[in-house]
Amino acid sequence: MVERAHIAEGARRAVTGTGRPFLARILSSEHPFPWLFPISAMLVLFGVYPLLYAIWLSLHKRNPVTRLSVFEPAWNWMKIFGDQRVWGAIGHTYLYTGCAIVIELALGLLIALLLDSDRKGYGVLRALMTLPLVVPPAVAGMMFLLMLDGSFGVLSRGLYAMGLWSPAHPILATSSSALYGILLTDIWQWTPFMVLIMMAGLRALPKGPFEAAAIDGATAVQAFFRLTLPMLSKIIALAVLIRGVDLFRIYDYIKVMTEGGPGTSTETLTAYAGAIYFKNADFPYASTVALLTLILVVATSTLFMKIFRVRF
Amino acid sequence: MPTSLARRLLRDATAVAVVAIFMFPLFWWALTSFKPTSAIFNKDEVVFFDFTPTLVNYQVTLLGKSRAELAIDSGNTFGVGGGSTYDSRQTIVDSIVVAVGATALTILLGVSAAYSLSRMRFRGRQAYLNWVLSQRFMPPIAIIVPIVFMFHYVGLRDTLLGLILIDTLINLPLAVLMMKSFFDDVPVEVDEAAMIDGATRFQIFWKVVLPLVAGGVAATAVLCFIFSWTEFLLSLFLTTSIRTLPVKISTFVTSTGSEWGFISALGTSAIVPSFIFILLVQKQLVRGLTLGSLKE
Repeated sequence: MVERAHIAEGARRAVTGTGRPFLARILSSEHPFPWLFPISAMLVLFGVYPLLYAIWLSLHKRNPVTRLSVFEPAWNWMKIFGDQRVWGAIGHTYLYTGCAIVIELALGLLIALLLDSDRKGYGVLRALMTLPLVVPPAVAGMMFLLMLDGSFGVLSRGLYAMGLWSPAHPILATSSSALYGILLTDIWQWTPFMVLIMMAGLRALPKGPFEAAAIDGATAVQAFFRLTLPMLSKIIALAVLIRGVDLFRIYDYIKVMTEGGPGTSTETLTAYAGAIYFKNADFPYASTVALLTLILVVATSTLFMKIFRVRF
Repeated sequence: MPTSLARRLLRDATAVAVVAIFMFPLFWWALTSFKPTSAIFNKDEVVFFDFTPTLVNYQVTLLGKSRAELAIDSGNTFGVGGGSTYDSRQTIVDSIVVAVGATALTILLGVSAAYSLSRMRFRGRQAYLNWVLSQRFMPPIAIIVPIVFMFHYVGLRDTLLGLILIDTLINLPLAVLMMKSFFDDVPVEVDEAAMIDGATRFQIFWKVVLPLVAGGVAATAVLCFIFSWTEFLLSLFLTTSIRTLPVKISTFVTSTGSEWGFISALGTSAIVPSFIFILLVQKQLVRGLTLGSLKE
């Protein structure tokens, strides 16, 4: 009975807050407002408001001579359709994202299967495998810029020695191959991400079906395609979504490795928006291209979530 | 059985080889940082171990030794007289301030939100969660131009506080969702027992539940630190005089040539703290990287 009285008293105080100073009233409240207010304020002030501001900016036309912006809602959005660099950037962004996802996922799954063992030493291998993830992407870009250098880069020299590449076409300085040089960096850094996720997924799989399959005489390959892969499908879809969203806004590698070049052959949407900002100072148009990136990423990921029924 | 032994050895060898391939760039990077310029830019052959190790690159970037003086000592005269500065002591201090500040602010703002989202049932809770999550999906480029303007007006542009605030914004969604998943692991009965004893919500949070998830909060903090430490795009747009490590390193590439010795020395130094931290939170890494949606 005493306990009940306590609860009733606590509830009464919480609801009415009588006889208590303001701070104590808030601290004993059951309302989520004080708990969520600081973060909400932060997200609105620096997340929502700038987004609305960006939309507002995109509705303005900037005069490069007078540096004044006048309200002309359709100007930038019409400009996008006639801008070849935008279409090129969209192409590069999707090509890069698609290639990276497929390769990183396939490699990640294979390496996860390879490293998923309880035997001695595998724990160390798994720990080492996560290290590329924490290298600052700008630094990872630098690492591969050094290794892919046409005249003294260790990877370039290795490829020349094996006859796989010609010194006449340095990988990052040739427009047909530069994007793939950057892709290599991405694969190095982010395959470990897929390995980690897939390993977590493999660990969570039930043992039963595999034992049953083994009794029925299924081979390891059959078990993988008939059991492992279907059971991992949810995790795979989630990993693809999370990785895809990050890939879509790739910037660091491109900025430090090629600056979008040679020409515009490695320019993605984010890189193009950055170039407009830094080189032309056309802030409204930079915002418009940035918003286009947002629109495409939302549309693509929503479509993906619908098709593959991804839920968080 | 010989076949199974052979298979096992083959698997071990493959595993070691794969990991070695992934470790090679790191090894090469660290190796380069100890090379004199002549060994880095050798166009006749790739230099592996055939060089005299030098600490010049670290002395210039970490200790701020004069380049001219060191150049004479070591014969490292490449790029001497260029306008860039390679002394990065201030950069390291600034990077630590930004990463620690952003981590502290993220945890401070995030932990209360994570607790209430885990424990309180209110209308619009799921919608609120989705909204927080959606922030993580927004490309930073979409908001950076207005943020530069805003920060310019209020005097936050090119300040450490500005960088701390913006890194906090980027870290918050992930931190909240990750910490929420740790709170979710603590049974509600713990809260109820404390409530029966007459504890207020805040007392329950502060004295009962928070100590139980301290490990998870620490792991979240480590990830936040690493994300702030490695952040590039926002720092590049928001700063001109203050430079964080990734931005500073990128400035070592000039049109006349890249100072690979300095770049690799500073780059290696920038990676080491993250390595140490990440080895501490291996287990929680998946939760952090997947927004806590995939519990391990």
